Amino acid sequence: MKLKVENVTVKIESKEILKDVTLEVESGEIVALLGPNGSGKSTLLRTIFGILKPVKGVVFFDGKRIEKIEEISKNVAYLPQESSDTNLTVLDVVLLGRTPHLSGFKLPKSYDLEISKKALEEVGMIEFAGRKFSELSGGEKQKVLLARVFAQQPKLMLLDEPTAHLDISAQIEIMEIVRRKVNSGCSALVAMHDINLASMFSDKIIMVKNGKVVYVGEAGEVLTEESIREVYGADVRIKKVGRSVYVIPKTRVKRNGKIVHVICGGGSGRDLIYLLSEEGYSISAGVLNVLDSDWEAIIDVGGEFVEEAPFSPISEEAHEKNLELIEKADVVVLSNLVVGKGNIRNLIAAKIAAELGKLIVVEKTRFELRNFFGKQAEKIYEEIVKRARVVGSEREALYEIRKVLG
Amino acid sequence: MKKLIASLTALNILVALLCLIVGSSGVFGVDVFLRVVSGVAKESDISIFFGVRLPRLILAMIVGASLSASGCAMQALFRNPLAEPYVLGVASGASVGAAIVYVLGIATMSNILISAFVFALLTSFTVYKLGSLARFRDQNYAILLAGIAIATTLSGLTSLLIYFSAQSMHKVVFWIMGSLSNPRWEEVYFSLPIAFFGILFLLLNSWNFNALLLGEEHAMAVGLNVENFRRYLIGTVSLLTASAVAVSGVIGFVGIIVPHTMRLMVGEDYRKLLPATILFSTIFMPLVDLASRISTAGEIPVGALTALLGGPFFLYLLWRR
Repeated sequence: MKLKVENVTVKIESKEILKDVTLEVESGEIVALLGPNGSGKSTLLRTIFGILKPVKGVVFFDGKRIEKIEEISKNVAYLPQESSDTNLTVLDVVLLGRTPHLSGFKLPKSYDLEISKKALEEVGMIEFAGRKFSELSGGEKQKVLLARVFAQQPKLMLLDEPTAHLDISAQIEIMEIVRRKVNSGCSALVAMHDINLASMFSDKIIMVKNGKVVYVGEAGEVLTEESIREVYGADVRIKKVGRSVYVIPKTRVKRNGKIVHVICGGGSGRDLIYLLSEEGYSISAGVLNVLDSDWEAIIDVGGEFVEEAPFSPISEEAHEKNLELIEKADVVVLSNLVVGKGNIRNLIAAKIAAELGKLIVVEKTRFELRNFFGKQAEKIYEEIVKRARVVGSEREALYEIRKVLG
Repeated sequence: MKKLIASLTALNILVALLCLIVGSSGVFGVDVFLRVVSGVAKESDISIFFGVRLPRLILAMIVGASLSASGCAMQALFRNPLAEPYVLGVASGASVGAAIVYVLGIATMSNILISAFVFALLTSFTVYKLGSLARFRDQNYAILLAGIAIATTLSGLTSLLIYFSAQSMHKVVFWIMGSLSNPRWEEVYFSLPIAFFGILFLLLNSWNFNALLLGEEHAMAVGLNVENFRRYLIGTVSLLTASAVAVSGVIGFVGIIVPHTMRLMVGEDYRKLLPATILFSTIFMPLVDLASRISTAGEIPVGALTALLGGPFFLYLLWRR
């Protein structure tokens, strides 16, 4: 079923909770509704379902206006966020979903019983049919309530945070069940808190803030550091994983103004970069190959760096830039890197840092074991070690830096 | 479930017979009972049977069923196991109504009945209005609070009225305690139709009670117009309890004891719970009434007996978990 909300404004006790909201949900689509607490997500769902009446604007179901809850509930199912506990059996709870389709004295028939049992099968809870609802776990309850929604045979589902308070596996399970239902010809508007889960399972994302729709679109385009800062007021980093997006909170560390340059590569500097960054040092790094895990780390912590194309040897130009960063840094650390033809220039850069008297060398494994360049590299390394402080781990490097920089 | 209904029905018949043959004026033998039923008994036996025991039995059943079914319904509406029919202030309203009649010195049976009934209805209407006008997120909660506030005020008023009622003081107090003594057929004629239609309404809405159990949002989600349903429900429960209180005074705890006992046996599904509650109440109430009229030489108020039973029952509910 296609849902269209047009210029809807809702007031509760003269306060505007929704302001001129317009949105669409196409059939066969899961649309995630994202926004901070109190942004109006629940109010929007309740308004669409007809519990709240808008002061302005219209809601269309397949192009039609339906006002009465009794009528809406025949095609649209709404799952509220909170539910009371009851000693009704699981099957009786699911049977309640048949209410809109019952006539007269509302006595469910065997046909309704069949549909309810099928709904329980769809959520994988059929063997719980005779159990008391109150005795189930949070995830199981939520699945039963979803079965109640399915028993309603809806064409559109309005789900208010169906994964709230659930553990990670239950969250994924619930969303997969919703996805299956939508694939079998239904649409869903789902209010959610978990941005990652939303990007994983939705076709479209609508971001609301203070009762207004601020962003609409696919996860990849809508979920950006800027949009999340605007809507939630939170600083995050965004990583794309497949077609979904992964959001990680940025740690807020006070910078102390000191710069540490890390010469690394091949993942040898990763831990060092994070460790030093958490300590409040500004980090620079080089020369790194693009897509290397050290390269990802330096992007994560947001430092200056010199990069080289994947699997390419360090160019003269990159080497020069690296030396510039070394010049600027207060301390330079040479990580426990593997040396070969491609990155021999990093070793040369380290030697220059050592000559400047600001090098700390992390030696976790003996250099011979990680030298694939030959005698020449060994000589350079010997030179370096003479003029630098050598430590056995990242932690020790940190202590050493503290000593030097105070 | 069928077994339970059958045994409850059998018990109903048994208890009804017991209440008809046992009373403060003595026990009817089987021969007397048969003669009364076939209409060839002594005049005094016939008047005890038809004038006292039969109307008293019917009233006990009506009062028991009205209060228990109402209590059961209120427990679903408020989603609170301790909700009872009197949360709407009906009992305190009726008490004021009865006390006023005594103070004015116009205490005939019909005056007490009408005054108690009207005051009870006015009170529950006021409670409902105050509750639904309040700026509360949860309307039920507001109604509960309004009920407590009004009941407290009215019980103060009742105390004052009792104080000013001078000689008839003990009569007011005795009325409030709740009793089925001096049964009249007029009381039966008055309360029977209300009980019949009221209880029928509740039975027909069994499914909607189930829908309320998950919370009002969920009830709306399956298409129940909760606002309307609450209005009709509170109206019906007010009528049922007001008429029960008007004919019997304030008999407490029946609306909690009976539904909970049945809940333990048939579970929470109102399609089973409500009929079972009603069938059990028509056993329970006449039986307690029987105990109240034969336990001493005179008669003790049945309301005091149900309250005596109510305390331990609460403790049982408390310890069960």
